[in-house]
Amino acid sequence: MEKEALISAIKEIVSPYTEDKTTLENISEETDFITDLKVNSANLVDIVLDIEEKFGIEIDNDSMAKMLNVKAAMEIIEAKLAENDRK
Amino acid sequence: MIGNDIVDLKKAGLDSNWKRKGYLDKICTSDEQQLILQASEPAVMLWLIWSMKEAAYKIIHRKTGIRLYEPLKYICDDLLTDGIKASGKISYLEKKLYSQSEIKGPLLHSSVVSALPDFENLHLQYLRPVPDYNEVFNRLSAFYQLTRNRSGLPEMVHTITGQKHAVSVSHHGSYLAVIYSDSLLLAD
Repeated sequence: MEKEALISAIKEIVSPYTEDKTTLENISEETDFITDLKVNSANLVDIVLDIEEKFGIEIDNDSMAKMLNVKAAMEIIEAKLAENDRK
Repeated sequence: MIGNDIVDLKKAGLDSNWKRKGYLDKICTSDEQQLILQASEPAVMLWLIWSMKEAAYKIIHRKTGIRLYEPLKYICDDLLTDGIKASGKISYLEKKLYSQSEIKGPLLHSSVVSALPDFENLHLQYLRPVPDYNEVFNRLSAFYQLTRNRSGLPEMVHTITGQKHAVSVSHHGSYLAVIYSDSLLLAD
């Protein structure tokens, strides 16, 4: 999947969980869900679940532990999609 | 070290649908899920357990400096509650931590320490979540000044000794809580 497409998919998923629309508009790989977008930690689970549903992947606990920013989320999505392809 | 977490139960109810498929499995062990589902008020039990985990995370994060999102590794047990107060234990790997919580209407607050006697010299101050809450605290306090360091972490300085004391601040929705210790210093 194209990088830009992946970022915009993540942007759409995160949107309901952030009130900081300016930061959301300028989302990049470096954006942190909690420190930049001010997502509540209890809603980070929702983001993980939404990503699982949208991409048809399963995010294990070790991957979830690292999923604090856009870059980590992209890496996890791509790794899990590649795993699915091999199956 | 000390850590706290406050939950505005009204806001949590609006912002989180904890009943959605997969939600509890990602954040609570099966024992914790049983406690939640058997509780007279499942949502309150969930946020109680969540606040214990979050407050414990603050201690571990300050110790290790590493940010990780791993709620399942914070295991709550020995949880006792009468609906107004609660106490419990949290294990993270080999580390054992202790919690005391209070539930006042839509406000739920947990304090976590690494040794039970640390609760004796612990103070809890609720404030309105205004931008200048530091100043409000400082006007109310005789011996302590609340500031922030360069990384944005709270610091509690004793006005006479100049020593930095252990402190933790939590804000959610309409509530803000500061906990600090007379006996523990920042490095403890």
